[in-house]
Amino acid sequence: MSAAGMTKRAAPVLACIGLLVVWQVASLALKNDSFPTAIGAMRAIPDILGDKESLINILASLRRMAMGFGAAVLVSIPLGLLMGRSAAVAAFFNPLLMVIYPVPKAALMPIIMLWLGVGDITKTLVIFLGVSLPVIYHSFEGAKAVEEKMLWSGAAMGLSPVQRLVRIVLPAALPEILTGCRTGLVLALITMITSEMIARQSGAGNILFNALDMGQYETVFAMIIIVGAMGICLDAIFERVRARLVRWSEPQFDMPLSFS
Amino acid sequence: MKARQNGRGSNDAPHGCANDSLSGRLLAKLMPLNPRASGTEGGMTVVSARSSEWVRPVTQQDPASAIIEIDRVSQVFQTSARKDHVALSDISLTIEEGAFVSILGPSGCGKSTLLYIVGGFVSPTSGAARMKGQAITGPGPDRGPVFQEFALFPWKTVLGNVMYGPRQQGVRAAEAEAQSRALIEMVGLKGYENFYPKELSGGMKQRVALARTLAYHPEVLLMDEPFGALDAHTRTRLQNDLLNIWERDRKTVLFVTHSVDEAVFLSDKVVMMSKSPGRIRQVIDIDLPRPRRRNELLLDPRYQKYVVDIERMFDESDQAGAPA
Repeated sequence: MSAAGMTKRAAPVLACIGLLVVWQVASLALKNDSFPTAIGAMRAIPDILGDKESLINILASLRRMAMGFGAAVLVSIPLGLLMGRSAAVAAFFNPLLMVIYPVPKAALMPIIMLWLGVGDITKTLVIFLGVSLPVIYHSFEGAKAVEEKMLWSGAAMGLSPVQRLVRIVLPAALPEILTGCRTGLVLALITMITSEMIARQSGAGNILFNALDMGQYETVFAMIIIVGAMGICLDAIFERVRARLVRWSEPQFDMPLSFS
Repeated sequence: MKARQNGRGSNDAPHGCANDSLSGRLLAKLMPLNPRASGTEGGMTVVSARSSEWVRPVTQQDPASAIIEIDRVSQVFQTSARKDHVALSDISLTIEEGAFVSILGPSGCGKSTLLYIVGGFVSPTSGAARMKGQAITGPGPDRGPVFQEFALFPWKTVLGNVMYGPRQQGVRAAEAEAQSRALIEMVGLKGYENFYPKELSGGMKQRVALARTLAYHPEVLLMDEPFGALDAHTRTRLQNDLLNIWERDRKTVLFVTHSVDEAVFLSDKVVMMSKSPGRIRQVIDIDLPRPRRRNELLLDPRYQKYVVDIERMFDESDQAGAPA
């Protein structure tokens, strides 16, 4: 491997180490109880992950997130595609979505809690709402950009309108759809923690805010690290899947951008 | 009126003016009335008789050989800001089975719209198009389009693209694949079966698009400026290859182009269109021997005369129609 390649690989690791060093130095300089050192926070991580109760909580969070994300993707992609190909459908849903878009989904939680309680359904629903909008938006844009002539070619082969939507619009818009899903995945993680902050009952967010109440700041920061790591892992896994699904839209050969 | 020095009778004298009193429909009808009237053996005429060189003589009087009939088709587009734009005005045209017909005209004359109407992709504002006597109401596998934009499925490989049509028609996978591989070889892309469209050049993409359309055996090929986006060299090669492929089975081809050379080189018949509103100006039979070879044809004075005559007619109409 070339020197440039080594640097590229090492860069993210160096960035993480750099952040931890800054944290450590800042914490030592400030000497504040509520700002533990990086090393202290890292030490608390094995305690959390070693605790059965905590693991069950974190897994419950992940399960809700997966359900909310999955349901949102299943509903949003067809809706976005239909909006992209039908002016009437777009005209109906666009104003609705424009109203919902700027509302923080967690702000709806107290109301949803009144209706559905503090259980899984409420939290899953909030995650669902948080994920839906970017996925709808990107599916819509992706479907709108599909070349008319491509659909005509399909129609000439005998594809019905529904077949064209599923077998031409969907694959053609897939790169854009998956961009929306990637944004949705991060939002799912955010709304997951937020929902558990509001409806404290179980989950990763619950551990975090309980620790905060009890003044266990090392646990708080350890949880922040864990949630961040979950985000990185989920995104990396998703990126793998995405790259495989839309291999056709990526450059086949990784062209070196420099002329060296 | 020098362009029509070929003695086609006095009744076509006013055609030089862009918006003359004779409608495009009348003109189109007029031509078939005297297809042999001006024929001379030298082939030095713009409109001439079918000669013995035709493998499949196409006689316009015989309705049985007509595969596509365009009957008084008009197309009006509503532009949001301004008034209605008449893209096509009262077009009537008959295309015989097995003929290679080019629609030639300046950009914006509605020639592509006419092709889309035959394809069933666009419904005419008035009038009707018929395929084998049946009104065209939508796209169908009997009419295969090839677009300037290629319109390949980017998520499919070359083989996947070519197989798509046959698979849709219910051909078994193994059979569809064998046919598709043969077609890919025919268009000169053997070895590229597993490439994605993104990895191909423009000329190669258009070859795939042609193979993809041929794969589901349409009776009519609808080619919409297929070589318009290609460089001159690639364009020439594809023209040659298209002729070679076409001469094997002589499918009916409706070919839209703005290139006079291309139209004359490829076609049996050139339909000249004039701009705004789009009308048929003239239908010209190209009486040149087949199989056509580019190097022979370019030296052929008959070919040269067709090209010069057609270009002159366009120049005249530009001048006559300039203030309008």
